[in-house]
Amino acid sequence: MLAAALPREVSVTAIEAVASYVPEQRVSVEDVAGRLGLTTMQTRLFRRFLGLAEIRLDPDGSLLDLLSAAVSRLAELRGREQLVRYVLYARAMPVVEPYPVNTLRELCGAFGLGHAVSCTVTHHACATGLLAVDVAGRLLAGDEDAGALALVLTGEKAFTRDAQYVPGTSIFGEGAAACLVSLHGARDRVLAYASSIRGEFDGRLDVLPEMASRFEKEYPVSLAEAIAAAVSQAGMSLQDIGLILPHNVNVLSWQRLCRRIGFPADRVLLSNVPVTGHAFCADAFINYTTAADRGLLRPGTRYLLAAAGLGATFSAMVVEH
Amino acid sequence: MDHQTLTSPASAELRPQVFDSISKLLPKVLGREIPAMSEDMKLMSELGMRSASMLELLLEIEDDLEIQIEVEDIDDAAMTSVGDLADFVASHAITDG
Repeated sequence: MLAAALPREVSVTAIEAVASYVPEQRVSVEDVAGRLGLTTMQTRLFRRFLGLAEIRLDPDGSLLDLLSAAVSRLAELRGREQLVRYVLYARAMPVVEPYPVNTLRELCGAFGLGHAVSCTVTHHACATGLLAVDVAGRLLAGDEDAGALALVLTGEKAFTRDAQYVPGTSIFGEGAAACLVSLHGARDRVLAYASSIRGEFDGRLDVLPEMASRFEKEYPVSLAEAIAAAVSQAGMSLQDIGLILPHNVNVLSWQRLCRRIGFPADRVLLSNVPVTGHAFCADAFINYTTAADRGLLRPGTRYLLAAAGLGATFSAMVVEH
Repeated sequence: MDHQTLTSPASAELRPQVFDSISKLLPKVLGREIPAMSEDMKLMSELGMRSASMLELLLEIEDDLEIQIEVEDIDDAAMTSVGDLADFVASHAITDG
């Protein structure tokens, strides 16, 4: 079932600024596959057909290092820390550290955000980043301070086999993003958000072949429906969307999806797929900074963030720059 | 699907080789013998193939026939039966020559 964002009267969630970080160390898919024990053919198809060539890793860096690198690049946060009421850490994996380690609180303390309410947003897997932006808007809408801000963080360590590899589909790398969210901001205004949760696909697909087969069939249908729902909710058609900022699962699945929905594949920013791999919830925001750096986002450009998460969730968000 | 719809002479010439290659390589990719291979055999519903094994099969065919296959246009219809896949490969092949 597709769930749309509830009306928030006149307030409009705005993504004020986005910063991203990817570690410098490049690791080829062949090296990753070697560590994972994949066969030659399982390895070759990533580069040959799926458009994945290398990922970024910081094997000596901590989760705090990863997230801090993104926050430290968010220049728009400097001097406005006291306005930040909420810090939301969106992540694909529900558990990433043992008690009593609390990276999020450490990060808040390090960046002058200790006063903020902080929490993790999860259970939408790799689509959780979009959920967190929506949740941030809802929290701000309920805040008595109209000038309050929220900080949405994404970024995870790829530290186990399941966290590094979806068989025949994707390889995960490390990357992080920090988004400053406000209400009534001039940009980038969130026009619509749609998300569909399909709990019948909750399970490890590599050991549940029947579920995996059904998921493969359902994936493009459900992601296309989420995109259509978000675009429709925004009162637009796909032709009004200038750019899709995707999750970086692989190039081929996006090419196939584009053909299904009738959207030009060259307007999906796929250039990071070969160089970063799939960075969990951070992809769409890393792609945002790439698009901004390349001048692809002009005032008035309507773009769509889209992501799917194992488990499964299919989400899309229409935003106006 | 009508398996006689290939238009390019080169593709039509390649088509029987592709079918033979699929027949030879499918057991290797699936890790089991396939009795009575036919054009109409359904790759997913009958043989239990998934997209990953389909891509592995395409890689094996590339190596076997020394061709490259453009996969950008592949869709569900192309992956329905053995014959459909043979049609797709033959019409999306780029030979080394």
